Amino acid sequence: MLCDNCKKNPATFFYKDVSGEQIKEVHLCEECARKKGIISDKKLSPHEILQKLLKSVEKEDGQIVCPICLLTLSEFKKFGRFGCANCLKVFEPYIKTLIREVQNSEKHIGKKAKPGGRRIVEIFRLKEELRRALEKEAYEDAAKIRDQLKTMGVENV
Amino acid sequence: MFENIKWLISPELSRECEEKEIVVSTRIRVARNIEGIPFELKMKTKDAEKLVQMVKSALEMNFKGKFLDLQKLKPLEKESLLESHLISPAIVKKELPTATFISEEGNISIMVNEEDHLRIQGLSCGLNLSNIASKVYEFEEILGQELGYAYNENYGFITSCPTNLGTGLRASVLLHLPGLVYTNEIEKILKSTFNLGMAVRGLYGEGSEIKGNLFQISNQHTLGFKEDELIEKITKFTKMLIDLELKARDVILNRARYELEDKIFRSLGILTSARLINSDEVLSLLSAIRLGIGLGLIKDIDIITLNEIMLVTRPGNIQLYYGEILEEQERDIRRADYIRHKLAKRNPASD
Repeated sequence: MLCDNCKKNPATFFYKDVSGEQIKEVHLCEECARKKGIISDKKLSPHEILQKLLKSVEKEDGQIVCPICLLTLSEFKKFGRFGCANCLKVFEPYIKTLIREVQNSEKHIGKKAKPGGRRIVEIFRLKEELRRALEKEAYEDAAKIRDQLKTMGVENV
Repeated sequence: MFENIKWLISPELSRECEEKEIVVSTRIRVARNIEGIPFELKMKTKDAEKLVQMVKSALEMNFKGKFLDLQKLKPLEKESLLESHLISPAIVKKELPTATFISEEGNISIMVNEEDHLRIQGLSCGLNLSNIASKVYEFEEILGQELGYAYNENYGFITSCPTNLGTGLRASVLLHLPGLVYTNEIEKILKSTFNLGMAVRGLYGEGSEIKGNLFQISNQHTLGFKEDELIEKITKFTKMLIDLELKARDVILNRARYELEDKIFRSLGILTSARLINSDEVLSLLSAIRLGIGLGLIKDIDIITLNEIMLVTRPGNIQLYYGEILEEQERDIRRADYIRHKLAKRNPASD
């Protein structure tokens, strides 16, 4: 059954209107019931809002994919979690409202990430390179990588 | 038997601090993820292993403390870390490699591979949010330089769940509010807390039961605020709750002084005499003692001793304290023993 008011969404909210001369059965969708002030807006927690908004699934959600981790928008809506740092950028156009509703805001004004040398990430990359060089028995390359690691404060490699 | 962890009580939790009778503890946690490594949902075992190793190196090169591989810990040790609020229920359930770092002072713990790559948290007794926050951010900054955080200009620090975007900051206080519970005002207050954008939970966070008149209040939103603003908001609200609690206590004292005194001293009687006692009963009796101290009725027990009893008597901690695995009844016996001896020290004649 469709909503009496918008005639688009399925009616999920039924009540008897006794305000007129005749008692009338009214069928509304949640959106229209809310607009008419029939259901009051009980405050929901960010988690509850998220769970509610994730239910609005679109057909094309399965085609919107994060190229880095291959998470689709429909998977995001199933789990309510991002798969990697890149997902946010890819899904942003589709989840702007969701974030605004959940967080009551759409702009970060707190501390910013400080650009750093990512020394540890670099050390781990070099260690991996060293392992590969040793596998290939490329000892000259390996020695160079070891020196690099030493200048970064890594002694026992 | 428990070689990985000796007995864990953060000295920070037993130090002198402000408002420590009503505010049991303060906690700050910051969620961060590392750029270039998949999040929980898409993480493979080798990603998780690599992250644990990277965080371990970053911490070892910059800080003193213990780095614990959670896979290698015994269930009881994990339970104890959980009861001491050093790890979360969620990380215990995970199958991927996880770890936790505990700073030398015991007031900072860093969970690796919880819902986010890093959950940096600071614990303190009393109302102490800005102090503990500055300690948390010391770790946060160095780890950020060493590892590089996932960040977005608009949405701030990128977290696994959209509910943590932005600052990734959750500031919380654990409050002891027996006055507001007895005067039945608590329901109304909790509702307004919620409407002001703060969440109320039980002792062990999300989904946990309210026990011992203890309520955890924390910010619900993490985006659109500066870190200081969030901390200020919780601090102000806590101060208001302290005022209301004190007023409620006055009301009870005026209306039902003898009933209240009776309840408090009976509770003390049970704690100093019981031979068998379970951990929830301890929580509710300690609540009465805490109130008695707050009202100046009990003068020979201090809050520090009370906090220690509260932590040591949890089901996992009591076993770790005695260094053996104990069945339920055995635990109840040892717990009663422990409390009697702890409280006997104040007055040798009473035991």
